[in-house]
Amino acid sequence: MKLLPAIAVLLAAGLAASGFRWLFTVTVPVQTLRKSTEEGSIAEEKAEQLASKTDLTGIFMAAPELATFTATDTPSWPSFRGSNRDNIAPDFRWNEPKLLWRIEVGDGHAAPVVSKGRIAFLDYDEKREGDVLRVLSLETGRELWQRFYKVKTKRNHGISRTVCATDGDALVSLGPQCHVLCTSLTNGMFRWGINLAEKYGSKVPLWYAGQCPLIDGQVVILAPASEKVLLCAIDLRTGTPVFETPGVPGLGMSHASVMRLGDIYIYAGIGGIAGVAKDGRLLWVNKDFTPNVIAPSPCILSGNRFFVTAGYGVGGAMFEADEKGCRLLFKTDRRTLASEQQTPIHRDGLLYSVLPGDAGGLRQQFACMTSEGKQIWTSGTEDRFGLGPFLAIGQNRFILQDDVGTLTLAQADGNGYKRLARLPLMNGEGRDAWGPIAVSGNLLLVRDSTQIFCLQMEDKQ
Amino acid sequence: MTRRESVLLAARSFAALGLAAFFGSSVIRKKTTGKTVWQIDPKKCTQCGRCETACIMKPSAVKCVHSFSICGHCKLCFGYFQPNAKHLTEAAENQICPTGAIRRRFIESPYYEYTIDETLCIGCGLCAKSCTNFGNGSLYLQIRHDRCVNCNACKIEENCPGKAIRRIPVELAYLKKDKA
Repeated sequence: MKLLPAIAVLLAAGLAASGFRWLFTVTVPVQTLRKSTEEGSIAEEKAEQLASKTDLTGIFMAAPELATFTATDTPSWPSFRGSNRDNIAPDFRWNEPKLLWRIEVGDGHAAPVVSKGRIAFLDYDEKREGDVLRVLSLETGRELWQRFYKVKTKRNHGISRTVCATDGDALVSLGPQCHVLCTSLTNGMFRWGINLAEKYGSKVPLWYAGQCPLIDGQVVILAPASEKVLLCAIDLRTGTPVFETPGVPGLGMSHASVMRLGDIYIYAGIGGIAGVAKDGRLLWVNKDFTPNVIAPSPCILSGNRFFVTAGYGVGGAMFEADEKGCRLLFKTDRRTLASEQQTPIHRDGLLYSVLPGDAGGLRQQFACMTSEGKQIWTSGTEDRFGLGPFLAIGQNRFILQDDVGTLTLAQADGNGYKRLARLPLMNGEGRDAWGPIAVSGNLLLVRDSTQIFCLQMEDKQ
Repeated sequence: MTRRESVLLAARSFAALGLAAFFGSSVIRKKTTGKTVWQIDPKKCTQCGRCETACIMKPSAVKCVHSFSICGHCKLCFGYFQPNAKHLTEAAENQICPTGAIRRRFIESPYYEYTIDETLCIGCGLCAKSCTNFGNGSLYLQIRHDRCVNCNACKIEENCPGKAIRRIPVELAYLKKDKA
């Protein structure tokens, strides 16, 4: 019983000491995590610092199937717009397409490439907060391996955007915040990684980077489009720069990808279009077409011509270029031929594209234009396609996808447009189905913002 | 009747009363007064600009409204900036709104918030047109009933090329957009 007073005294002393400390503690305001400035919040600055310090080796995970997976001899679709970067696939029959598999993916628009029985795409994992390079079996859709690296990216009209490139051995991806990763396609082994923002000072464009790497022989061509470096060629095996074209003042990174016009690399950046020789020499810069935002890549035509377009009311422009210079031939109105997101297709001397949303009564219709700038036809009010992708197959057919994922097969050439079939693949409930279409033989890979579908069309007969 | 049965009976009675009250109020709510007001159907509106000039109210009773759930909160907002704006600043020459009625506030990278100052909005629809063409379509036009005098014959309705203006029950009042 004698212990009780002692305990009471101790408790009272403790309380008194705490109160004393509380009374004399100098309180300072907690530093706010938010600054209402263009630079963003302190939390954002920390996230950006973390993004610049991203360890691109990341975390590798392989499925048990990887050890026993045998490559099949499937036709490849190795980069953005296919082998020739022209978005023209070999012909196949469309006869009751069958759904082979469907997978859930992170919010975005990144389309797959196909090589050696595998598909590869750069996904984003919002739970783990990072880019994920994923390789799946083309036949089953089951994942073989993935490589994850942490980089916090918020949704801004989706997150993933770009199409990888592969030569069948190396696989190169470019993430929304300009992280370039090169691995082995077959086993996922890390080869090298570059953060374009950190190494070259690239500024991540509005709505993130949309540039798809271009593999040309033993190098991958990238456009950091910074003050330091306009274009660079990186050795696929070692990750060392083969050339670095000095930056052009006022020419920044757009969403467009580098395209090849013969031996000239063409890059349509914000503030101008540049031509770079295969050895990295800057050949010319043209400033006749300088929209605020450019998502489509230059569409290469025959006869040293290329066509550049963008949305938001600017229309398009046809250029002629060689090593000596680049000349504007004519500009097109947004109602004649233009595109907001997808790159037009050139086939047999004609240009095809879905017109942008501000083309008045012709908005979102599929249109055909001669290489001299004369519109031949549009698809009509019953056939509008939003911002979705379109793909040429064979000599005179196209597959077009609208915003909700409905596929349309059409016969289209210089003689006109005729719808042949429609497939409401996502029952009209797909969302922002803007990712490009990939083809491997009679297999079609399409996506909306959260799922990828593999469709088997009938074999060519 | 046992105590247990009494409790169960009471519980069932309360449940029945609750259901009756719920359905009864629903039926009452569905009854309308029969009064109607003019409103713009956003699905039919072509943002032609006649709402600004045809309305007998000066400035027009038509105002731009904003659906935050549809908005992408982009830094480069085509409902706010001129398509050819070279600088993404609030300078008047960069804005699409002729009266500067859209307020832009930085939230956190990369998001911005856009709100309408209805005292400045003249209902020209330039922002709604650009937002519909290039963005998510979150900016759209509505007739504001604190300004509309609900004429028998609406001058905007007479001039609307898209037949987008019609009478709707006063209880509905607005035709809100819920998706892009």
